[in-house]
Amino acid sequence: MTATATRPAPPTPPARHARRRRFSRQTREMWVLMLPALVPVLLFSVGPLLYGIALAFTDARNTRNHETSFVGLDNLGELLTAEDFWSSFRIGMIWAVSVTGLQFLAALGLALLLNQDLRFRGVARVLAVVPWAMPPVVIGLMWKLVYHPDAGILNSLLGTHINWLADFSLALPAIIVVGVWTGMPQTTVVLLAGLQNVPRELYEAVEVDGAGRWRKFWNITLPQLKPVIVAITSLDFVWNINQFGLVYVLTQGGPGGQTRLPMLFAYEEAFRYRFAGYASMLGLAMAVVVLAALGLYLWRQMREAK
Amino acid sequence: MRMKSALAAAAIVALAAGCGSGGGGDKGGSAAGKPGEPVKLNFLSLAWQKESVAANKQIVDEWNKANPTIQVTYVQGSWDNVNDQLVTQFAGGTAPDVIHNDSPALSGFASDGYLLDLSDKLPAELKSDIPQKSWDTVTFDDGKGKQGVYGVPFLQESQVIIANKKLLDAAGVRIPTPDNPWTWDEFSEAAKKMTKGDKFGVAWPMKSPVNKTLNLALNFGGTFFQTVDGKTTVKVGPEEKQVLQRIHDQLYKDQSADPAALGQGTADPLPAFFNGKFAMLPAGVYLRQQVAEQAPKGFEWVTLPPLKGTTSDQGAVSQTLSVAQDSKHPDEALKFISYFLNPTNQAKLAKGDWLLPTSVKAASDPSMTTKENGWDVATASAKNLVVAPFLKVNGFDEWKSKVATPALQEYFANKISIDDVAKKLVDDGNKVLERYQR
Repeated sequence: MTATATRPAPPTPPARHARRRRFSRQTREMWVLMLPALVPVLLFSVGPLLYGIALAFTDARNTRNHETSFVGLDNLGELLTAEDFWSSFRIGMIWAVSVTGLQFLAALGLALLLNQDLRFRGVARVLAVVPWAMPPVVIGLMWKLVYHPDAGILNSLLGTHINWLADFSLALPAIIVVGVWTGMPQTTVVLLAGLQNVPRELYEAVEVDGAGRWRKFWNITLPQLKPVIVAITSLDFVWNINQFGLVYVLTQGGPGGQTRLPMLFAYEEAFRYRFAGYASMLGLAMAVVVLAALGLYLWRQMREAK
Repeated sequence: MRMKSALAAAAIVALAAGCGSGGGGDKGGSAAGKPGEPVKLNFLSLAWQKESVAANKQIVDEWNKANPTIQVTYVQGSWDNVNDQLVTQFAGGTAPDVIHNDSPALSGFASDGYLLDLSDKLPAELKSDIPQKSWDTVTFDDGKGKQGVYGVPFLQESQVIIANKKLLDAAGVRIPTPDNPWTWDEFSEAAKKMTKGDKFGVAWPMKSPVNKTLNLALNFGGTFFQTVDGKTTVKVGPEEKQVLQRIHDQLYKDQSADPAALGQGTADPLPAFFNGKFAMLPAGVYLRQQVAEQAPKGFEWVTLPPLKGTTSDQGAVSQTLSVAQDSKHPDEALKFISYFLNPTNQAKLAKGDWLLPTSVKAASDPSMTTKENGWDVATASAKNLVVAPFLKVNGFDEWKSKVATPALQEYFANKISIDDVAKKLVDDGNKVLERYQR
């Protein structure tokens, strides 16, 4: 609105044109002002997105002497019949659901604790946010050291010699722990903010009625937090299912594909085996699945809220 | 007025942004330079051991001093992600001119058309200094049915056995020599003799089992792939099963192999090796470097020659230097490669990486045949190297990581039987290979 404020007064136009002209000029100004923000979005976000979607319906390969042609839904057919994809999809779902669930439970506990009147509460709150400040690659490297079979702190604490990240049955739980740890800060902070918004009067009111701690939590805290919980768990779910960097550093999808999340799978297809079209279809399919799951979840929550 | 100038400004912004994204395509166009300016080459090196990085940089410096018109920039890469990096760079047109890689990776890049066929361009002295069987490791189909040479092979790796001398002597077994190596049976016997209490005869680090077992399988003539009428399929018969079964037996029947090492990478069991927890470590020749450097004082070790099945043949892969198809200066790049890989420099590089040079002249260098640190045994083992059959298989990389690695890991962890692993390698494997033969 600053642009209109500094504008010199326009010559007064004929009265009957005034309304339409002002409207169209406002629209034009809005577009002009939005353009600097829109151009990068269109160029670097929408453009590649559309290009990726288009690729999904071709047999594009990352090679120099391959003629790309339109193949319709061939990639989708191949995807749906590929065992690799389904096992990767299953792993992705186990990962996303368990990380999101555990993250929520742990973060809720931590948020409740940090909401209490503790000594050193400020310090504790800062410490709880520390993992947030680390890039996923650094977290991956750090936890790789924790899990190291010989020099790792975990094995020396437990007195064992387990190669956590190379064991077929332990690798996925091991990275889930890392995933929970990584995502806890933002979940905690959001829940803490939600907790601080719960009106005190409500607690006072039920205290008069003689409610205990558990009843207060169940009947006041949880219902009051519900919108925040819905928002943060759905965001967490999307973040987690699209997780790439952390797992790429920790296990590269090994051992034997036991931790090959869908995005790692797509990356491998595109950049190792060079099936760009197939990988694009994979990305597209995952996006559709996530949107569908999320849509269903949010729709149910909304309906309950009504 | 204001409105118009705002529109103009926005148009300029849009134009600039458009140019920014479109301009990426012809990056490097300016590298052609004006006459009189030196030609600039990028050299992607994957050297990682300290001595080897130093040797690489030193040779580049010497070249740059001697050739002011062709200036080479050393670019550090890493084996961990070089192929991902190259796929992206090739697709984006920003690949380095001279590329260090290994022969298994070249096959794919060659058939995708990203690498320059060097067969008509190689200078005679370089060509004759490297034996034909090494050139065979870099000769591939160009994706259209024509064979070409897509790199210059310069370092090779063979599998030897590094042994704790004290435990070896104490067991009273015959010490093998390059002329009279151990057979696999003798090796199993020796490992059993060295297994006492909580000490094991041998350790097999099998985190990445595929190349190791495939290269050793040639001892019994196991090729794992066969090509009939131009169609390549996986084959796991009695020959292929020999080495698999023998390693498995050491782990679970003889119990002469340390189970703790199984999930580890090649260098990971070294601390346990120095502690005498096991006596022998089958490994590539390059591991001698870490042994020599990290061994505690007074620790004596020897290098034992490769084992013998029906033959001592081992699959060979080589490290290579290639030229990108899209390089603006292929001739200059090849001149640099010829200099970089002359016999003197190859000996230097081989010493730096503790690997075997392909150059015949470099292999006869005194530093390559000294008894010290097992160089004599290592260099002698080069005669057993033959072209690994899997090198020419299109789709081998996917077969390896999707099918073979998990199947072999499960087999060596005793989770599935030898027949299960054979079935997986063949059935799942053929499905993978089919994608590449359409």
